[in-house]
Parts: sequence; C-alpha cells; structure tokens
Amino acid sequence: MTYSPRVADQLRGQSPMAGLDRRNLGPMQVFAQSVSGAAPAAAMAVIPAIVAANAGSATIWSLAIATGLALLVAGCIGQFTRRMAAAGSLYSLTAKGLGPGPALLCGTGLMVGYSLLGMGSLTGAAMQTAALLARLGLPGSGSPAAAVVLVVLLAGLVAACTVRGVRLSAGVVLLVEALSITLMLVVFGVLLVSHGIAPDTRQLSPSAGPGVGGVVAGVLPALGAFIGFEAAAAMGVEARRPFRTIPRAVRSTAALTGVLSLLAAYTQVAGFATVPDGLAGQTEPVRTLAAGEQLPWLSALLDVGLATSFLACAVATTTSLARLLFTMGREGVLPPVLGAAHRRFRTPHVAIAVALPVLAVVPVLLFATGLTPARALVPLLVTAALGYLLAYLLVCLAAPVFLHRIGELTAGAVLATSVIVPVLLVVLAAFLSTAPVSVAALVTVAVLLLAGARYLWLRARHPERLAAVGAYDETSAADLLGTPPLHWTAPLRRPVATAAPDQPAVAPEPGAAPEPDR
Amino acid sequence: MSPQPPPPVPGRQPRAVRNALAALAEVVSAGPGVTASEISAALRLPRATTYRLLNLLVAEEYLVRLPDLRGFALGARAGRLAVPVVPRPCTAARAVVAHLRGRVRWGVHLASYAGGQVTLVDPDPDHPRSEEHLLARHPHVSALGKLLLAETPDRPPPASELRRFTEHTVSDPNRLAAQLAEVAGAALARQCGELHLERGCLAVPVRSPVDGTLIAGLALSGPAHRVAEPNTDLIDLLRGHATRLAPLLS
Repeated sequence: MTYSPRVADQLRGQSPMAGLDRRNLGPMQVFAQSVSGAAPAAAMAVIPAIVAANAGSATIWSLAIATGLALLVAGCIGQFTRRMAAAGSLYSLTAKGLGPGPALLCGTGLMVGYSLLGMGSLTGAAMQTAALLARLGLPGSGSPAAAVVLVVLLAGLVAACTVRGVRLSAGVVLLVEALSITLMLVVFGVLLVSHGIAPDTRQLSPSAGPGVGGVVAGVLPALGAFIGFEAAAAMGVEARRPFRTIPRAVRSTAALTGVLSLLAAYTQVAGFATVPDGLAGQTEPVRTLAAGEQLPWLSALLDVGLATSFLACAVATTTSLARLLFTMGREGVLPPVLGAAHRRFRTPHVAIAVALPVLAVVPVLLFATGLTPARALVPLLVTAALGYLLAYLLVCLAAPVFLHRIGELTAGAVLATSVIVPVLLVVLAAFLSTAPVSVAALVTVAVLLLAGARYLWLRARHPERLAAVGAYDETSAADLLGTPPLHWTAPLRRPVATAAPDQPAVAPEPGAAPEPDR
Repeated sequence: MSPQPPPPVPGRQPRAVRNALAALAEVVSAGPGVTASEISAALRLPRATTYRLLNLLVAEEYLVRLPDLRGFALGARAGRLAVPVVPRPCTAARAVVAHLRGRVRWGVHLASYAGGQVTLVDPDPDHPRSEEHLLARHPHVSALGKLLLAETPDRPPPASELRRFTEHTVSDPNRLAAQLAEVAGAALARQCGELHLERGCLAVPVRSPVDGTLIAGLALSGPAHRVAEPNTDLIDLLRGHATRLAPLLS
C-alpha cells in the first residue's frame, strides 16, 4: 500500500521509543505516579507553616491561588500531552515548541530537579523510618550510621521496583501513596474533629492577618506543595491511553494536592488560632497539635504517612529521571548506552543503574559531613524546586509556540501562557533572592553552564543529534488503519490510502486554506 | 421493579456526536495528512471546537496524529467501525489447500492476517473449527494468532487482554513473550489445549515472496496430544504447501 507523499515521508517502521513497556499502564497507575511526584503528605505536614510565616491566618488564600497557578501549568502541559506521547517529560515537550536549545535548558533543569528531589525523598524516607524504628525502641536508630544504612537499603528497594518493570513500580507507587494519603486524611480528620466542629470563619477573609501583600508573598512557598506534579508526563509511552490519561492525571494531581493542602492548612491555622504567633511560629505543627489534643498516636501515624509518601516519591522521581535520561540517550544528546532498554523487563535499566547510585551517594556524603537528615532535607528540596520551576516556565512558554507551529493556536492557550509566565518569572526571581545565596547561585550557574556547554558542543560536532531532540513515541505505520499492507486476490478497497504517488492522493478539500505539505 | 430507563441525551450532545462523526468522515474523504484547520474549514466548525473534538478522537484512538503532529489519519481502532472485508482466496490457492486436505486426516485451515487480525478465509468444512470471533479477539490462544503476535514483538498485547481459557493458556506476559520469540525463531506455532482442553493446532506462516511480510497462516488442527508430538513429516508437508500458497496470495 502506498500513502500520499505527505504521509509516507513521515512514517517510520519503528517508534524511536521502542523497547519500553508500551501502552500497558492504567489510568490509576499513571495518576499515582503524578501524585507521588508531588508527595502531598509531606506538603500537608510542612508547607502550611512556611506559608503562614507570610500570610498568617489567610494561609488558605495563598494555597488557593497556588492551586489555580498549578492548574494553569497543568493546562499548558496538557496542550502537549493531549497531542504527543513522550517519555522525556517536559524536556521533550519544550523541544516541540521552542527547539533544542531551550529544551536542553529545560532538560538540565528537570535533571537537577529530579535528582535533588530523589535524594531528598530518599533522605526523608530514611529519616522517617529511623523515627519509626526509634519509636519501636530500636537502639541506635538515630545515629548517622543508621541513616546511611537506611538510605542504601531504600535505594536498593527503589532500584528493584523500577528495574523489574514499570507495572510493578507503578503498582507499588499506587499502593504506597494510597496508604500515605489515607493516613494523612485520618490524622487531619481526627485533629479537625477533636478541635471542634465550629468553622473558623476568620480564615475565609483574605485580608485577615498581614493583608493582601502577605497572601501574595505566601504564594511562593505554597507553590512548593505542587513541585513534581507533572511526573505522569514521563509515562507517555507506557500509559495505555496516554492522550486521555496523562493530561487528566496531571490536572487531577494539581487539584488533589490543592484540596489536601487546603485541608491541612485550615486544620493547622484553626488549631493554632489561640497561640500568639499562630501557625507561623511552629516548627513541628502537626506533632504539637497532636500532643495538645492528647493524641500521641497521631504522631506515629504521621511518621508512617510521611515515610510512605517519601518512598513513593523516590520511586516516582527515579522513574521520571530514568525516562528523561533514556530519551536523551536515544537522541544521542547523552551517551547512547543510556537509551538501552532491558529486553525482558522493558525498562531503561542502564539509565536507572547510572542514576540511582548518585541519588544514594549524595545523601550519604551529606551525612558524612555531619549534617543530620533533617538538616540535609531542606536545601535538597529547596534547590530541587529551582530546577522544576525553570522547567515549568519553559514548558508554559513553549505551549502557544507549539500550537502555532501545528496550526492549532487558540486564544485560551495564549491567555493561559500570558498569565502564568510572568507569575513564574516573578516566583523564580523571588526564589533566587530568598534561597541561600551560595546554593541558588551555584545551581543556577551549574544548570546554565551544563546546558550551554552541551548545546554548543552538540551544535559544533553533532548537529544531527540536536535535530533529534524532542523524540517521542510517534505514530508508526502499524498504528494507522489498514496496515500492514495486505492485498489478497483483490486489493482492499481503500481508495484514499491506496492512491499512487503520482496521482493526487487527497481529494480537493472544499473551502480549505492551501497548506504547505510538511 | 422495572429497570432504570437510560438517561436522556442532554441538549448539546446530539450535535457533538454528529460533529465527531463528521470529523471522522472528513479525515476519510480528505485522506491521511489532513490538518485540524482544514477539517475546521470543511465542517464550518469553530476552530476551538474542532481542536477539542479531534483531541478527543485521538485520545480514543479513532484518529492518530502523524509524526509532524499537524496531520491526522484514521487510527487502527477505527477499523472496529467496519466489518473487515477479506475477499475469498483465488481458486488456485483454494486448490492448494484442498490438496493438503486430501493428504492428511487433520483439519486444514487458511487464515488471512489482513487488517492486522486473524480471519479464517478457507476453514476446513469437514472439521470442527474454533469460534472465529475468539480467534480474532484472543490471538494468544491459537497457533494462527501466535504467528501474528510473533511478527510484532515490540507491541505485545496488554496483560489485561490475556484471558485464560484453560489451565494451559499462556496468560503471563513474560512467558508469552518467550514463547513468541520461539515461534518467530522456528517459523512454527503450536498450541495444545490452550483454547479447548482436548484440541490443539499447528500453524506455519505464508510470507509474501516480494518483501517477506506475513500475509497468511496455514494451520492443522487435531487432538491436543497428537499436536504435541514432533510431527516432523507433517510439518514438512505443511511448509511445502505454505510455500506453494505464497505467490497465489500476495
């Protein structure tokens, strides 16, 4: 069978992403991937107190605005994920809008974000597991040696899950994350009920506390609750109905994380309403509330909820990071060996084998310098957010350009980008100015240098590899109706597709604007 | 208690359904590669509505986007909207199959792989044949289906579709992948009691002499314990007839 020239030139026999476990994950597994990336349990326990430092009793307003912004980012990502199934997450998406240079910047930002969040979640999981062991009365569970052993053990567990098959790791993530969210709902539900049913209406006024300026300043830390919510975008190849499940998973994760953090913030602000500084002055607000309500067992539930959330986050981030490295390996942007897929398990095993030791060794080195896990966690998570924000900024910028390029630009897409891009720019700038100067500067310079150097080197030596950037699981001949081409005794009647190349293959379209072929 | 009546179709849905069908028809008539703006102009629909409609049809896999992401074509799933029409093999081909039927005491079946699924085009009239819809829907339980699956090892059937019929059905994706690799290596598929406990079949591929693509499968069916035997002479006979069929079918 011959296709019209404008189709035949494009089709390849095999997808550039061949080797992964194609189209095999259900919607819940994809959704769990994204939720785990955002790790809402940790956000529920930590973020409201940080937001309250700015917004006071109007904390829920900052979180509501942040939820709206996250939904806008999800909308921009959805413009791509409804149309292409990628494994390289935002990196591959940015490439389709802005081209290889900005894509490399986005990819490097993502790589930094994924790596640091992976390290952070391994650290957090080790820290919470140690706290649980200490509760059980195990001697020495608070020592640095125990933290090192736990990080290594957890990294081994993550490696086993992620290499053994995406269905296994997605299943583990779904189970663990469901447990975590259930526990957190129990913890906050009990706190809310034991505090009293009477609604705290004071929180509903945005001008309560430090006023509108405070609410706006609170949006920045509130966005931290959503970091990692795009994780499903790396499952394009493996999701069963990617164009439906992935945009929906990213959008629902933004909404779910928003609702959960609003619940957590409301509970905590109400709980500390009578304390002079309110929630803002608290370092361990949930534990303090639990102790205040004479419910010490809630603290234990919180430990399990946080440990499981961090573990699910570690698996989800490793999954995304491995697929990013896999895509770059396939394109030749990174060494091609990273693009290898395990024949039986159909996972990017080389990428995982390269990435996971790094994710485990860095926390171990940090512990060796004398940092406690709790102290190491903060800079890791804060710096990870920097990488993610850069990637979000670029993908939102890329969305309308991409739509224009394929001739499907709408006013809504332009509007979404023109709202979200300035906001993200301000957030990024505010982030750089508030984060510890040395760390932020170091990371920014490192990202820019790495991406720039790689871009220039590739442009000089291997321009064809730059042209390959943006590889995704594209439609191949087998996805089209009527392939493989088969003629029985009489050709199948499919006049359009069987037209010879020298005949006009396409019927004249009434009223259609003349379009260039490619 | 009477069953609940189906919910009425709300106000704007009939139009949306009509528009979706019109969009599908437009992709067929304009041909693969037609862009969203061309479809929007042809259907006189607002652009935003058309894009939403097309994205929906792509999400449901009735349409696919071509690699340039601009053009659309009918997706493999759209094939489900039509009954596959597979013409009868020519007289010469049927004569080859009839000749084989005269030489063996097994059921002899010829299947086409047109449209990417198993369709019996010359089933043995004297032998019980497997239910045809099962052959098409569950290729993993028949020798003819295994030949087809072995052609595309990078697109294994989803684990959820590997239905178990008997205790011998291979429903584990990894075991199936290993078995399909053997099938591809030996150019021979064998199935003993995977669909019905007592029955089995052997199948060999018929490939186009021009480009080697898999066009058909020739199968022998019989009692499961007989199929499990080596059957060396029988398989040679089967292969000989498959070779004679190849130029007649492509």
